[in-house]
Amino acid sequence: MRKTLLWIAISFSALVFVAFIGLSLMAGSPKDALYMVRYALPHMHRGNLKVGDVAPDARLVALNGFDHFRIREGSSGKPLVLVFGSFT
Amino acid sequence: MREAHPTDEWQMKSNVKDDVCYAQPKTLEQRLAIANDFTKRFNYPLPFGVDDMSNAANDAYAAWPERLYVIDESGRVAYRGGMGPFKYNPKEVRDWLASRYGEVKHQETKIEEKGLQKSAGKPEEKSQTSK
Repeated sequence: MRKTLLWIAISFSALVFVAFIGLSLMAGSPKDALYMVRYALPHMHRGNLKVGDVAPDARLVALNGFDHFRIREGSSGKPLVLVFGSFT
Repeated sequence: MREAHPTDEWQMKSNVKDDVCYAQPKTLEQRLAIANDFTKRFNYPLPFGVDDMSNAANDAYAAWPERLYVIDESGRVAYRGGMGPFKYNPKEVRDWLASRYGEVKHQETKIEEKGLQKSAGKPEEKSQTSK
């Protein structure tokens, strides 16, 4: 029983190690991998939105900070390209 | 939306090199200040909106850290890009638009930033940008 548990622990550690190496390569360095896990992964979501779904008409704030508008407002039957991102 | 690489979280060397150094906004005013800096610095020509601190638009579109969508004339999602940065693919959107609506006429748009000049295509379709 102890031998089985030991092998499970070794296998799990090896998997974590390999995953960390993979993340480090993807992110650029071990530090970036740690930061990715800590700061990025919790906010990355696949979401449920699919092609064909009604586009959520979320409310956005205008650059002046006072006005608000809906995402699809003003597109009036034209296609709309949405580019989501941040400055950094 | 939330900053991807703020100074108090996962800052990257490229942020320092490009002088794009901000702490993660904790108020809408701080988020708006960054958005205004972005649009002014790049003389950004497209309609622009800011997600409020409830992150409603981000939650609805699973948009963080960056993602592209095309909404069709009926208000439905016609194209959903992959999650950035690894699957953020503007060329795929251009190709998708060209295949669906025909070749898009581009007009040269100068994006100026601190003496650097980049040339970017501006599609005729109205675009909405959310930060």
